[in-house]
Amino acid sequence: MSRFLDRPLQYKIISICVFANIIIFVVNIFLLLGINSMSMEMELVYQDNRHLNRISDALDDVQDSMTEYLRSKTSDSLETYFMADGTYSKLIEQLDGRVTELSFGRMERNIKYMSQNYLSEVSMTVEAKRGRNVEKYRVYYENATELYNYISEYITSLNLELLVSNSQHYSELSELFRTYEFISFIVITIVMGGNIIIITSLVGAIIQPLKKLADSANEVAEGNFDAQLIEITSNDEVGIVSNAFNKMLISIKQYIERLRMSMEKERNMQEKELMMESHLKDAKLKYLQAQINPHFLFNTLNAGAQLAMMEGADKTYEYVQTVADFFRYNVKGKKNEVTIGEEVTLVDNYIRILNVRFSGDIGYEKQVDNRLLGVAMPNMILQPIVENAVNHGIREMGNQGKITLKVYRQDSFICISIGDNGKGISKDNIEKILSGSWKRKQDQNDNNGIGMDNVISRLRLFTENENAVEIKSEGENKGCEVIIRLPMDEAQQTETEI
Amino acid sequence: MKTETPKNNKHKLNIKGSVIFTATMIFVVVILFLIALNFRLNLKGFKRADEAREYDKYYVMITDNYKSDFWKAVYRSAFEEAQKDNIYLELFGESFATNYSPEELMKIATASKVDGIIVYANESNQMTRLINDASSKGIPVVTLYGDNTKSHRLSFVGVGSYNIGREYAKQVINIIKEKKSNESTEADNTEQQKTMKVTVLLDSNVDDTGQNLIISAMQDSIAQEEEVTEDLKLSFSNYTVDNTNAFSAEESIRDIFHVEEIPDVIVCLNELNTVCTYQAVVDFNKVGVVDILGYYDSESIINAIDRGVVYATIAIDSKQLGEYCITALSDYYETGNTNQYYTADVRLIDKNNVSEYMKKEDKDE
Repeated sequence: MSRFLDRPLQYKIISICVFANIIIFVVNIFLLLGINSMSMEMELVYQDNRHLNRISDALDDVQDSMTEYLRSKTSDSLETYFMADGTYSKLIEQLDGRVTELSFGRMERNIKYMSQNYLSEVSMTVEAKRGRNVEKYRVYYENATELYNYISEYITSLNLELLVSNSQHYSELSELFRTYEFISFIVITIVMGGNIIIITSLVGAIIQPLKKLADSANEVAEGNFDAQLIEITSNDEVGIVSNAFNKMLISIKQYIERLRMSMEKERNMQEKELMMESHLKDAKLKYLQAQINPHFLFNTLNAGAQLAMMEGADKTYEYVQTVADFFRYNVKGKKNEVTIGEEVTLVDNYIRILNVRFSGDIGYEKQVDNRLLGVAMPNMILQPIVENAVNHGIREMGNQGKITLKVYRQDSFICISIGDNGKGISKDNIEKILSGSWKRKQDQNDNNGIGMDNVISRLRLFTENENAVEIKSEGENKGCEVIIRLPMDEAQQTETEI
Repeated sequence: MKTETPKNNKHKLNIKGSVIFTATMIFVVVILFLIALNFRLNLKGFKRADEAREYDKYYVMITDNYKSDFWKAVYRSAFEEAQKDNIYLELFGESFATNYSPEELMKIATASKVDGIIVYANESNQMTRLINDASSKGIPVVTLYGDNTKSHRLSFVGVGSYNIGREYAKQVINIIKEKKSNESTEADNTEQQKTMKVTVLLDSNVDDTGQNLIISAMQDSIAQEEEVTEDLKLSFSNYTVDNTNAFSAEESIRDIFHVEEIPDVIVCLNELNTVCTYQAVVDFNKVGVVDILGYYDSESIINAIDRGVVYATIAIDSKQLGEYCITALSDYYETGNTNQYYTADVRLIDKNNVSEYMKKEDKDE
């Protein structure tokens, strides 16, 4: 059956039709055989009567030809007699000589023997006539004629009896024939009904997958891509189409998934960019608020530096120049990303300014891997951290305060460490700062206005890493270290390894 | 799991498919079986000649009237006896459209080369010639009930005519006795001697030895009973019933009642005469006046006895008669010879024992 199901659709439909036709054909052949045998039986019904009539005719011929011969003694009549005699003997031979319980059988037998007697009597008559034995042939003729009459009578009786029985037989047969017709009709009706059921169920079994396919396709057309895959029950055309449909459904799902993922990614990126921008703007706004007009300040300071140089006050010149550089960084820095080197320079400048302000109070130590200075990072990061370290860490320590700046590589990260030996920060505060829940005092206005939270969130966005910033403090008065981890891309890695 | 479901479904579908397939096959087989059955039923019931029972030998029984109850009874018993030896006995003449005389039937049977002929013969020369003709062709002939002593017949199966005659005589005497006692009680003034008239109905065939024997036996027996008949004049007469054509017997019996002297006792020597006489007595309102001594125990005769119209009847053991015919022929084929005479028993049925026979008849039906 499964082999049948795997055959092509055309083959299946044709074989079902052929099968149904064969059933009808076989049934019809059987019915025809029945009708045929019955009609043969019907033909045979009056056969006996016909045979008897032939015998009767032949008997008459014999008697007539004998009489004719006796009358005229022509050779023609003799010849006719011999022929008639031959015909009659042959017909007589066919009669059944057995004794049965059926009266026809016995009558047949009696006719046979009487005819034999009659023929010998007739031949004796003819012989006597030829021998001119007048006395004898008269006697023989009389005997023969008597027998002839009896035989005729016998045949008539038998014919009548046969006719009665055959008529009865015939009517029985025709009644049976009608019954047979009726039964045949019923049989054909049943066969037809059965065929319809068979064809319906078989075609239904073949068409079912197609229906399922159509249903499934409709479902998909209505937008339900989660429609169940079609079971493939056969390897015919429907099976192939179903299989293709299943594949299509799967690819559509995959494609949609991919599309959704990429859209989400894009959206994320846009979001990130927007946030970066907004943070930076926020920082810049605060910076500008603080510096009011850096251009003016910068130009003013430049003018002051030139004045100092003309006056030969080198230290003043240097200081004013440093301050000018410090402010210029912000003025030119419109872009988001800068190099680590630029940030380090800014820190250098800032420390120098502070040292002038606080007359060389702060110790500043740098351990920088120069190979890493070209790596990009967000701007305005290091300076705020250093500012924090100065303001909250070492401000009150006078000459003992010390800032350590390190740039180094650790595994696949570039680490920028800003350490101090100041007051330190408690663990709770570290957590608060990192989680962004540190509340800055409103009046705290002694830095450039960019808070740690801004720095931290910008770094996290840039590195896409929540642990981009780490704050370490060993306890009260044991200093503090802020470590920034920037990811290194492969190009930078190889570059630094050379 | 997901990969398994289609497999299961496929399996399910296969089962469904094979169920449809099997159902179809069963359906086809059942239909064909039905047709074959129908076919067989249709052709059954037609008994062809080849299926019919076949017999070794073929005897015929020739009688003067194949329709009479008597011959039918004899034929039945003979037929049953013949069946035992796988012989078919035909009551000849039944199957012919015309009515043939026994002589003509003899000719036909002889020409048909049957294996044995049982014939109700008479003493005519024609019958003698026919019997001799048959036996010359090797066909044994048994004469039944009526003999042809001159012929080469194998044997004669009949009744003891002398016994029948004596039996009739006894009944005649009984009737005389009854009448006497009646008359003596009714009236003693019977000075005038009454003549008792007994008429025997004879067949027109005068050569029938059986008839003659019966009459002489009757006369002898009555003559011996002198003490009964001494004060009574008894006259015997024979009335020849003309049976030369089909209905003349009845006419000629009615003629008896048209004469002035109606007989007191009528003795009938065959079944037809008995029935005709009985009917005539009823029609002429002579019941009780004319006593009938009948012949054979057909239903109507027994009923007549019961009603008192027929005084008594002689019943022949037709079974024995039939059996003897077959025995004679079988003996001939087995040993080449057989008894010359077979005599069947006779019984008398009168008012005293008629009820028995009526019961028997009921049972037979």
